[in-house]
Amino acid sequence: MSGNPIRKVALRNLAAHKVRLALTVLSVVLGTAFITGSFVFTDTLQRTFDDIFGDVAQGVDVRVSAEELGASGVPVSDIATVEGLDGVARTAPLISGSLVVLGSDGAAVQTGGAPVEGLAWLPPDRTLGDPQVFVDGGPPVADGQIALNTSGAERGDLHVGDRTQVLTMAQGMVPVTVSGIYDVDSDTGGYIGVLFTETQASALFTDGRHVQSIDVAGDGSMSPEALRDEIAAALPGTKVQTGAEVTEEVKSQVSEALSFLNYFLLAFGAIALLVGTFIIYNTFSMIVAQRMRELALLRAIGASRRQVGRSVTLEALVVGLIGSVLGIAAGIALAYGLRAALNAADLGLPSGPLQLSPRTVIVALIVGVVVTVVSAYAPARRAMHVPPVAAMREESTGGDASLRVRTLAGVVAGVAGAVLVAIGAQGTGGGAAATVGVGALALIVAVLFAAPALSRPVVRVLGAVFARPFGAVGKLARTNATRNPRRTAATAFALTLGLMLVSVIGVFGASAKTSVDALVDNGVESEFVLTGPPMLGLPSAVVDAARGVDGVAEVVSAHTVVAKVGDDEDFQFGTAITGRLQDAVALDIVEGTESTTGDELLVSQSVAAERGLHPGAVVPLTSRDGETVDTAVTGVYADNQLIGPWITSPELYEQFTPVGSRSAMVVLVGTEAGADADAVRAGLEDATKQFVIVQVMDRDEFKGQQAQQIDMLLAILYGLLALAVVIAILGIVNTLALSVVERRREIGMLRAVGMQRAQVRRTIYIESLLIAVFGAVVGLVLGLVFGWAFVRTLADQGLDHIAVPWGQVLGMLVGSGVVGVLAALWPGIRAARTPPLEAIVDV
Amino acid sequence: MASHTAPAARSQDLKKIYGTGDTAVHALDGVTVQFAASEFTAIMGPSGSGKSTLMHCLAGLDSATSGAVFIGDTDLTTLSDKQMTQLRRDRIGFVFQAFNLVPTLTALENITLPLDIAGREVDRQWLDTVVTRLGLGDRLDHRPGELSGGQQQRVACARALAGRPEIIFGDEPTGNLDSRSSGEVLSILRAAVDEFDQTVVIVTHDPRAASYADRVVFLSDGQVVDEMRGPTADAVLDRMKRFDTVTPVPAAE
Repeated sequence: MSGNPIRKVALRNLAAHKVRLALTVLSVVLGTAFITGSFVFTDTLQRTFDDIFGDVAQGVDVRVSAEELGASGVPVSDIATVEGLDGVARTAPLISGSLVVLGSDGAAVQTGGAPVEGLAWLPPDRTLGDPQVFVDGGPPVADGQIALNTSGAERGDLHVGDRTQVLTMAQGMVPVTVSGIYDVDSDTGGYIGVLFTETQASALFTDGRHVQSIDVAGDGSMSPEALRDEIAAALPGTKVQTGAEVTEEVKSQVSEALSFLNYFLLAFGAIALLVGTFIIYNTFSMIVAQRMRELALLRAIGASRRQVGRSVTLEALVVGLIGSVLGIAAGIALAYGLRAALNAADLGLPSGPLQLSPRTVIVALIVGVVVTVVSAYAPARRAMHVPPVAAMREESTGGDASLRVRTLAGVVAGVAGAVLVAIGAQGTGGGAAATVGVGALALIVAVLFAAPALSRPVVRVLGAVFARPFGAVGKLARTNATRNPRRTAATAFALTLGLMLVSVIGVFGASAKTSVDALVDNGVESEFVLTGPPMLGLPSAVVDAARGVDGVAEVVSAHTVVAKVGDDEDFQFGTAITGRLQDAVALDIVEGTESTTGDELLVSQSVAAERGLHPGAVVPLTSRDGETVDTAVTGVYADNQLIGPWITSPELYEQFTPVGSRSAMVVLVGTEAGADADAVRAGLEDATKQFVIVQVMDRDEFKGQQAQQIDMLLAILYGLLALAVVIAILGIVNTLALSVVERRREIGMLRAVGMQRAQVRRTIYIESLLIAVFGAVVGLVLGLVFGWAFVRTLADQGLDHIAVPWGQVLGMLVGSGVVGVLAALWPGIRAARTPPLEAIVDV
Repeated sequence: MASHTAPAARSQDLKKIYGTGDTAVHALDGVTVQFAASEFTAIMGPSGSGKSTLMHCLAGLDSATSGAVFIGDTDLTTLSDKQMTQLRRDRIGFVFQAFNLVPTLTALENITLPLDIAGREVDRQWLDTVVTRLGLGDRLDHRPGELSGGQQQRVACARALAGRPEIIFGDEPTGNLDSRSSGEVLSILRAAVDEFDQTVVIVTHDPRAASYADRVVFLSDGQVVDEMRGPTADAVLDRMKRFDTVTPVPAAE
């Protein structure tokens, strides 16, 4: 080390300014921590799911299932066909379906989003994999008996011998007795498995003519592949896979689902890093400015530009390395915390040991170090071009180059961006959204360029509002906030970015809520809405129960029908209605009638226009089982978000939907004229109490529930964005702390001529408040514009009402002010400690 | 000037010791000195004599190790930081060697800064008088960066005068100026005493600067060793030559 004076200077420098070092490192840590955290978290989930599904096809050589997911399954007769083939030793049918289990308290057992699965129990001599291991009691041997997995038993507080009920869509409430409790390897995350006898399972979950799939074990005479080909030839129209293929398919489905989560988390990592980059850049700019004289001295005594540049770069390299390593550690902690938080929230995710792959470490290290070095290089380059003599002069303020080029570039990008956003907002769909996206990006770049020039007038106006009451202190704060516009802009930009995203999401949320409200207000005529658990819906028995209540005029249930329309490639979701539609939903028939019985179809105006349909036309519908029915179009209705693209009859719904999957999405209840709403509600609640899962809501409550679901979705986004804001705050702390160091002599002079410590602190607080509010205002304006434009492009997706969450906007403005003051606490205290002699004594 | 009036500032057996034990440096070693009101005093001495430390203690910028310091009747050694700050703000004016002004404020804003900080009303008439006398009338809207060194020091003088303090301290106020600007600044300080009845104390190492004063106090090794009334530059220079030409190691300031 002693052989390299430049390196020595760089390292000594780091050691000499510990606070500065800590703040710089911190900004790197935050960026890399988020990247590491998202990788570790998703890797861990991936690994856990892999473990769970690794044995999904244990002992299975070949599996025969229906071609389409959600179809009825495989005909029972196929079992005999398979068993008659060469090389087949045994077969095991899989019968399963969704249900609700009631716990010992009579309420539905909550799984936090994990599935509840009913299965047929097969005796060990008929299972292909390892049989279930019972920890208590035994398997169900008679109808009316169930065995539960340990997690399900614990969650429901159910024990062997307990009587309870299960709710299935096909048969409603079924009384059962717990015969045993069994262990599942992956018994975490809320999953509940319920074993029935084979006869009861097939009665509950199938039409009696199908099983979900058939697992086949070979006798060893043929390879699984050969067996697969043989079976496939014997059973055309089914999907035949080897065990390995099944496992592979499940795993790839899981990883596809998780990759979305990974991209999502990485996007936040990128935002965190982008924000972090600004902090690192800002910090190094200031450090280099402060060290101008020292660097000039090095130059004056003969160090070359390259050597000085290398010194700064080396410093950045060390900071980047330390920061990245700490960031990786912090990221692991973050993933750990995230998992703990999700477990606490009971989201039904399984947990396993945290996975730290070499890829995670390498990516975080490279990104952290490269970003740091690049951020430090630009200011260092600038520093090197200052002539040594100029820099050594007493009051060198550093390069205050003209902002003109920068601002001009910003204005050009801004105009282009604004035009693109405006054009994009005129249309709907993916193309329009992409135009808005490109425009938004251009506007962000524009702000990045023009923010220094923008900061002066904006801060002056803000200062007139916030700093005026503080007199001389306020004026000092205001002038300090505008004295270095580049720095102010870079400091505020982190907050700008964070609040921009928050307000985009805010506009989405508010618009979604308003749109749903409008949909319910304009579309739903019924007084009451009955709903069940999401994904499961309501058993049809609920409709009959509601119909029997006094004061109820009409009960309408809506069902989702899955079918291909015409010669489409993809399945579509249509609606089937039982009961008189016009009593429940405001449907505007523009052509024909609204009658749908048997093989009849109503289509929305846009579908009619797209396919050239009019009453009298014939359209084939194809079910997931491959069954095709020619339907006659009887009417065309004005597009309706509540109903969807087409409506068909209840008969067709039943024909197209396997027994185990039939349920009502929602049940709408209209009251008789003059009926007492409270009495009807009490009656409905009473009548549906037996189904446990039924929620009786009036329209306002229904709207509230929808709003709540939207809020929950947004809460996760806000939580992640809070991190960007936290980084932004640390950026402000960083900048202010370094500014205070930079202005030591000035602050000392102010103290000497009589500024009280409290006044010094207040000056810093107000300066910080002005910077923070500047950043927030720019971010909010951008966010509201982007939110407005994006929501406009989604008008055809049901987001047809644009709402601005003004309360939230105001809250964020106030919040950013508070955040600004909080960020200034520590730098303010440091500044106030500056002794007055600092102004006189040359350091 | 009449020496029998109450002194504007004085010190009593003032000691200032930096460090402890063997490494202790006695920057001030029992200084007892008075500064009469309405008089221009220069403190001189070789490097390390303690002249700056004396001024810092007198002006409430630094605390004494022992002894007492009075501004008027107020004993500075009894004051809290807050009271001391208030005293500097309301009763003392400062002109430093450099870095006198806030770079982001205009000349006028810098001049009224101590008054603004105090929330005191600015005496417009007085301000006009000072600004006119100092020839700053057309420079008031300029920022320090747009002013020459001499102009900056004149703004600093105007700031010191604007609040009509009891005493103005200057710490090498001409140290960074060429001789023409030095002359201007010293004339202003001289005029402050003669025309505005101010009390001025400066620390300087420049005999010519000292010649503007009514009285020169000489310090050496932390003690008052001599004083001179009605000094001339030559007399001061002669006196200074009698100090050991081998300059001692500078004390920490």
